[in-house]
Amino acid sequence: MKPAVLLLVVLVAAACGSGGRARPLLRGGSAQAFGAVRGSALTAARVLRRASLGTRLESCLLRGDRTSVPADAPVVERVGVDGESLTFADSTGSGIYACDGGLDPAGERPLPWCGRVFGERDHGRLLDPRLDVNCRDRRGRAVAYAFVEPVADARWIGVQQKGYLEVYEALAGLPVRVATAEAVEVEEARATFEITEYDAAGHELVQREIQARVAG
Amino acid sequence: MRRFVAMLVLGLALSASTGAQAYHRFWAGCNTEAPTFMTTMTRDAAQDYANAARYEGYQWGGGCWNYDDVDSYPNDPPSEVGTHGEGGDCSGLTFKTWRESTDTTRDGRYYWRALRNVHGPYDAAAFRAGSGAPNHTVAKSTAGVMDAFASNTHIGMVFTRSLYGGDQIVEAKCEACGTNIFYRTYRSDSAYGGVGRWGWTG
Repeated sequence: MKPAVLLLVVLVAAACGSGGRARPLLRGGSAQAFGAVRGSALTAARVLRRASLGTRLESCLLRGDRTSVPADAPVVERVGVDGESLTFADSTGSGIYACDGGLDPAGERPLPWCGRVFGERDHGRLLDPRLDVNCRDRRGRAVAYAFVEPVADARWIGVQQKGYLEVYEALAGLPVRVATAEAVEVEEARATFEITEYDAAGHELVQREIQARVAG
Repeated sequence: MRRFVAMLVLGLALSASTGAQAYHRFWAGCNTEAPTFMTTMTRDAAQDYANAARYEGYQWGGGCWNYDDVDSYPNDPPSEVGTHGEGGDCSGLTFKTWRESTDTTRDGRYYWRALRNVHGPYDAAAFRAGSGAPNHTVAKSTAGVMDAFASNTHIGMVFTRSLYGGDQIVEAKCEACGTNIFYRTYRSDSAYGGVGRWGWTG
């Protein structure tokens, strides 16, 4: 068993005795708890290849972008409590795509995707979080998506939701696409994310607030 | 006397500080007033609106300017919303010129005054995809006045078509170059797609 998987098992197992109600994930099943934080919800995440995702990814990409992403490009698929996403880089590594899941209020895009963003990297880091406020969840609430660039040594990204912490694993060297239905101001095209980052062992590294706006 | 001098020095130091207040400048004079619904929405009027925004600067994530033909805060760090300078960015200028709504399900037809600080929910990539009820993609060959060309990172509106392959494009381009009309060849650039807005009345 790889060390990363082993670590996850340890963290999740440690959470079993911590109490708290397991939160349902968007695509079924319950979120595991992140061992370091009581009552947290661990987003399901895995790394796939573009070719293995078929129409799930192709339906999100615009035709003009399809040649800019290699067939074997790693794609991080995340399924959380209120949102789901795909994240992948273009062939040069200088651009990052995300497909954001949810209902499109304008009714133009079929499920699962309601939005697609593209972010430019400068010296390996995104220029901005590429906020997307154009998705709704099953209850009609606005869901905001944004990228988080983990700080050095950060392995887990916690996003404060109402009453719990939703935790995302940093994978494949890509920025982490996080979602929230809290503190979303659609009218002003902005959202605030309360972020806590943890190292691989679950030790807290930093807390910060990301105030993101739609831009560019 | 010594105490007076000390207080004077302290006062001067405080008045000269540019730290936290430096990036809350132009937006302080912007407003959040409601837009005005208009029954008409012509391409001519949209040209006038965008033309009037020339020389007013560029602000990442911005959508607020006055009409003094000067960028009050040029050359801010790029891709930084927190600089709060004058001007729209490319998608903000398009949003306001196209009289869009902050609600993606609505047609809009809202006249946004220059000092109304609004960007709208679309970035360039969203415009490129034709996202939102008022927007749609168009064949680049048919794109006309006040249609637009959008890539994943930029959008500019056709001010006039040119006979020689390019177009005069009105766009909020960058901190250094501001908002202006430039000759561009987006029409023949594969990174760009054609985008339009439904509902012109003339």
